[in-house]
Amino acid sequence: MRSLPTPPVSRRAFLGATAALGLGGFANPAAAAELKKSQKRVLVIFLSGGVSQLETWDPKPNTDTGGPFKAIPTSVAGTHISELLPHTAKQAHRLAIVRGLNSGSDDHGIGQKIMLTGRKMEPGIDYPHIGAVAAKLLASDQSALPGHIQILPKGGSGFTGGDATFLGPRFASVSLGDGKPPADILRPTGLPADADAAREAFRQKLNARFAKSRKSAATEAYSESYTQAERVVRQAAVFDVSKEDPRVAERYGRHDFGRHLLLARRLLEAGVTYVKVSHSNYDTHHENFDFHIEQLGEFDRPFAALLDDLSDRGMLDSTLVVVMSEMGRTPRINDRYGRDHWSKAWSVCLAGAGIKGGVVVGKTNATGTAVTDGQVSSGHLFHTYLRAVGLDSTKNFYPDARPVPVADPKAAAIPEVLA
Amino acid sequence: MPPFNPTAARVERELKHGKPLVGCRFDPSGRFLFASAQDDTVQRFDLVTGAKTAFVGHRCWARGLAFVAPKPAHAAKAVPPKPVGEPFAAVGLGGFVEPAKIEPFTLITADYHGNLTWWPGGAATPKPTRTVAAHDGWARAVAVSPDGLTVASCGNDHTVKLWKAADGSAIRTLEGHESHVYNVAFHPAGGRLVSCDLKGVVKDWDWKTGKCERDIDAKVLAKYDTGFMADIGGARGMAFQSDGSAVAVCGITNVTNAFAGVGNPVVVVIDWKDGKGKVLKPKAAFQGTAWGVAFHPSGAVIAAGGGSGGRVWFWNPDDPASTHTITVPTHCRDFALSPTGDRFAVAGANGTAYVYDFTGTGATAPPPPKK
Amino acid sequence: MLGHTRSFAAVTILSLSGLAPAADPFPARIDRHIAAGVPDFKRKAAPLATDEEFLRRAYLDLAGTTPTVAELHEFSNDLAKDRRAKLIDKLLAAPGYARRMAWHFDVMLMERRPDAKVPRAAWETYLHSAFEKNTPYDAFVRDLLSNDGGDPKTRAAAKFLLDRDLEPHLVTKDIGRVFLGRNMQCAQCHDHPAVDTYKQAEYYGIQAFLNRSFLFPNAKAATAVIAEKAEGDVTFTSVFDKNKLTHTTTPRLPGGKPLVEPKAEKGKEYTVAPAKDVKPVPTFSRRARLAAAVTGPENPAFARNIVNRMWAMLMGRGLVHPLDWDHVDNPASHPALLDELTAEFVKHKYDLKWLVRELALTDTYQRSSEMPAGLDDAGEDRYLVAILKPLTPEQFAYATMQATGLTDAERAALGVKGTPAQLDARLAARLAPFRKILGGKAGEADDDFSATLDQTLFLKYGTAVRGMLPPRGGNLTARLGAISNPDAVADELFAAVLTRRPTADERADVGDTLKAASDRQSALNELVWALVASAEFRFNH
Repeated sequence: MRSLPTPPVSRRAFLGATAALGLGGFANPAAAAELKKSQKRVLVIFLSGGVSQLETWDPKPNTDTGGPFKAIPTSVAGTHISELLPHTAKQAHRLAIVRGLNSGSDDHGIGQKIMLTGRKMEPGIDYPHIGAVAAKLLASDQSALPGHIQILPKGGSGFTGGDATFLGPRFASVSLGDGKPPADILRPTGLPADADAAREAFRQKLNARFAKSRKSAATEAYSESYTQAERVVRQAAVFDVSKEDPRVAERYGRHDFGRHLLLARRLLEAGVTYVKVSHSNYDTHHENFDFHIEQLGEFDRPFAALLDDLSDRGMLDSTLVVVMSEMGRTPRINDRYGRDHWSKAWSVCLAGAGIKGGVVVGKTNATGTAVTDGQVSSGHLFHTYLRAVGLDSTKNFYPDARPVPVADPKAAAIPEVLA
Repeated sequence: MPPFNPTAARVERELKHGKPLVGCRFDPSGRFLFASAQDDTVQRFDLVTGAKTAFVGHRCWARGLAFVAPKPAHAAKAVPPKPVGEPFAAVGLGGFVEPAKIEPFTLITADYHGNLTWWPGGAATPKPTRTVAAHDGWARAVAVSPDGLTVASCGNDHTVKLWKAADGSAIRTLEGHESHVYNVAFHPAGGRLVSCDLKGVVKDWDWKTGKCERDIDAKVLAKYDTGFMADIGGARGMAFQSDGSAVAVCGITNVTNAFAGVGNPVVVVIDWKDGKGKVLKPKAAFQGTAWGVAFHPSGAVIAAGGGSGGRVWFWNPDDPASTHTITVPTHCRDFALSPTGDRFAVAGANGTAYVYDFTGTGATAPPPPKK
Repeated sequence: MLGHTRSFAAVTILSLSGLAPAADPFPARIDRHIAAGVPDFKRKAAPLATDEEFLRRAYLDLAGTTPTVAELHEFSNDLAKDRRAKLIDKLLAAPGYARRMAWHFDVMLMERRPDAKVPRAAWETYLHSAFEKNTPYDAFVRDLLSNDGGDPKTRAAAKFLLDRDLEPHLVTKDIGRVFLGRNMQCAQCHDHPAVDTYKQAEYYGIQAFLNRSFLFPNAKAATAVIAEKAEGDVTFTSVFDKNKLTHTTTPRLPGGKPLVEPKAEKGKEYTVAPAKDVKPVPTFSRRARLAAAVTGPENPAFARNIVNRMWAMLMGRGLVHPLDWDHVDNPASHPALLDELTAEFVKHKYDLKWLVRELALTDTYQRSSEMPAGLDDAGEDRYLVAILKPLTPEQFAYATMQATGLTDAERAALGVKGTPAQLDARLAARLAPFRKILGGKAGEADDDFSATLDQTLFLKYGTAVRGMLPPRGGNLTARLGAISNPDAVADELFAAVLTRRPTADERADVGDTLKAASDRQSALNELVWALVASAEFRFNH
């Protein structure tokens, strides 16, 4: 998927700009200091491919579009969700379900961008993903771990590099494929700890000498990167989900998504500001119902376990949890029992920090083909995420000294879901 | 018996129901075609009178359809063939017999809320006589034993269950499958039951003792799609040859994209004696799934399916490639052969069930099977 | 004295090139422009780099790798006054030059996009050949923009257009950026809000050259070629225009004259008419005129842009900065210099090797990167001190292979019959992980340095680098293992990796490290690592 190019902003120039702004990139240092005290985090669960809102948050049983599944009652009187989410149903008192989302694109790549940046596509500017924004505005300077991590269903680990756009590569996501730790995070067997320390000391001496006469933002960043890497390496155990209490692991489930969600909780607990866990895949143009049974079957129990786990650890009030996708699925069931892409009327679910549990906001019509009440865009959701974690979503970033609103100025937070 | 000529197949009638169909079966007399639909109803089409009767009471789709036949002495007379070109005539006109009195029979449906429902199959205003909460999640298929006394069902809870046809009481649960059980059928001799799951594992049960006598490999029907990280498979249709010498299962194979349905329809004919499967495929390339299969009395295998359009395929028992193909105007989601084999029906995604007979002129008879 | 020597060398070379010897050699004129940019330049500016510093810098910039220990000693022992000029000429004549330039232009033209319709091997061969032959740059670009990919023997030349899928907005934007030094992306939707001279009409004037072209038989075919219709016009409306007026334009480069298009005689619009499965050929091709328009004398932006980019390649920063932001409100740091460079480059018929040579001979290029005392806030664009340039992924990979002596080991393994091409094939085979981890994001100009976690872990613990450390057939750690005297170890180590002598402190540190080590060979291996991981190695200084 081709991404839009960034504006002609030199990242090197931008490093200078942020330094001038101080902590958190805001012009107001008092706000930034306030934030540091309460250390919020964000967890996004991304159901890749376009989850069907009719098989999850907004069921329409016994209609032409509803399909064969039941709607089941939840822990909130009057609120029903799909029978495919029995464990999640018991958590409804913690959830805010937004049913009136109209996101504007039926394309996977564009839809994902719209949902993660809170913006429609604009030529000439690439907006940063919520992960980069969260890492930038919420991360503590003390944290050794990267502030923006995404756990992908498979593949190797790496660095996508692009999702922080003008905020700079420091806030771009580190990817953990199949939840494996970052590549090369473990000291190789042929390198004993004392040899590693000795060579590190030697390297630092060389750099100190070099820096006496030659310095630039780049050489500083390079030298510093080893120190930062060392701090991550010392916390390498954080990435090892097998170190979790097996009873806790059991509640999440031994399958991939369960492990990945458990890893996410582990990372958040260790101080990572933002983790996104992707679950693959929901793009069910063919046999939508069978595949949603399988995929939601993998999602439901760990999601409920996660909410309980966050609550048990006292983390639920400070962790914003968002369950989203790049779009929803058509109310119309096609010939092959499939549902196709649909952005006009679908749902997102929120929980945790700053979110009022047990609410449903927005309505769709009887068959789910249109929003009838409380229509919102990804921009409204983006404002909501920021407000939920205590940030002022009307502020600006200043890449290259020109103001760029942190969130879409045409939208605002959804008041009904905020605590 | 005259040689079977599949090219003589032609649409005898179109049975229209506004909502997409998910299953179809002929009743044991062959007079009725039952078709279940996405509007949670089952529709009964009377092929003699043209009447359409709704069976209302399910709260979801009911794909599984099976029957407890009335005693043979009271069986309705077979439906005579309709002359070519003539509209379906009213009672008593030129050459038609009066519609025989309908002997009571039972329809048992299996639905996606896991219920088995008993219905008076021939009633004018049918209402459920019994509902059994049979499975957790979908009850995907239901079958009745040859002696009419036992009902078998299977579903997403990985089980096959047995019930008394007379009162719906539970007999036994057969456990062993490790994924959704898609289909179930009794061996014509009665003592054995075959079931097939999502992963293509076919189990042969002595259902009276509950012992799984053997596992048969039909894994050609199953695939884990690593791109979308999901399983696709299962026997969408299952049928025994009337003499019990073989059982056919059908579904989709060669899947390269499960979420777009990129794969090919396939039938596996399993030899009952040695448990070996023979793969039958459509001759012309076709992307999609085979949703229903049956053995014609002549020994030919017929299957129907859909994907990039709708098709019915015919195989001579010895040829792995189909000998004749019919293009159906809709994706076929089920296939049913009448009890005497003189007609067949497909359940259309477009909401119409097409009934075909073999009275067309067709091409010359197909060549004799290869030695 | 140095000045005298240099002008002697310059005069000699100018005579060889057949041009009348100027009284005033070009490198000196360039330096005068730079000096004019700061009052009291001579006093403030850093001195020239030491011989060792110059050696390493020249090797990296002109050969894409670092010198061998033998080459370091040879250069250090050369007492000739014109040894630097001789080195430059030696490097320009060696195979490393074509390799280094091919890397640079690969990134400039393709920006690390994954291969789509032209495989990497064919493209690299094509680039390599162009720089071996020193193809004039205007001819090179004409080839890139006019080749339709139809002839398998020359298809690689069409990669610039083909691997962008000929997507109209992408190729318009990239032609502007890469060949004209203008990022006119904003002008897709409206006149640029910040840049007066980037107008929407100009954006579409470029696009109009290509709007009739398309991929045949379709965009998905791996062997697709570029075909063209005989009709079709670009239209555009400004998103700022309340009345939503629709405009159009004929093909025309910014600041250039509109293309004169002959009125097509009805029925004669095509020489090969469009039909099913038939590639149409129009009688008049807009695209065929793009190459001439871009590279022609009426488009001064073309020469100006490449000169600026070559300056940036060697000096670490464009005279216009950023490289694709050339407009009236972002003037060059030294406008008269850029003008003169451009004029001379055109006079020398777009000879890139000539340009590189002239720039390398300047004091500006050869200046030290060591910040003089009291010069803390010297702007980079004043060139008072040389700019630190991070090694490109290719330079880093080759320099690491050279430094660790993997290159020596491979050469030894190939034996006396081994050719430079065979050796290079073995080295090039190891490029992939370096490109993948250290390379910029696909589709973006590779112009900014980053040090992300995955890159650091790659260098710190990754096997691509660590695999080069253990002793093997004549490599560095094998040689060091055979040296007992720690000072001699330090000398060989620093010479091989950092192209210099160690300080007394550094010799002492090496000695201490070896004394404390339980496994001497491992300690040697990790000392090599420490130098390779240093900022001094990572940057071209």
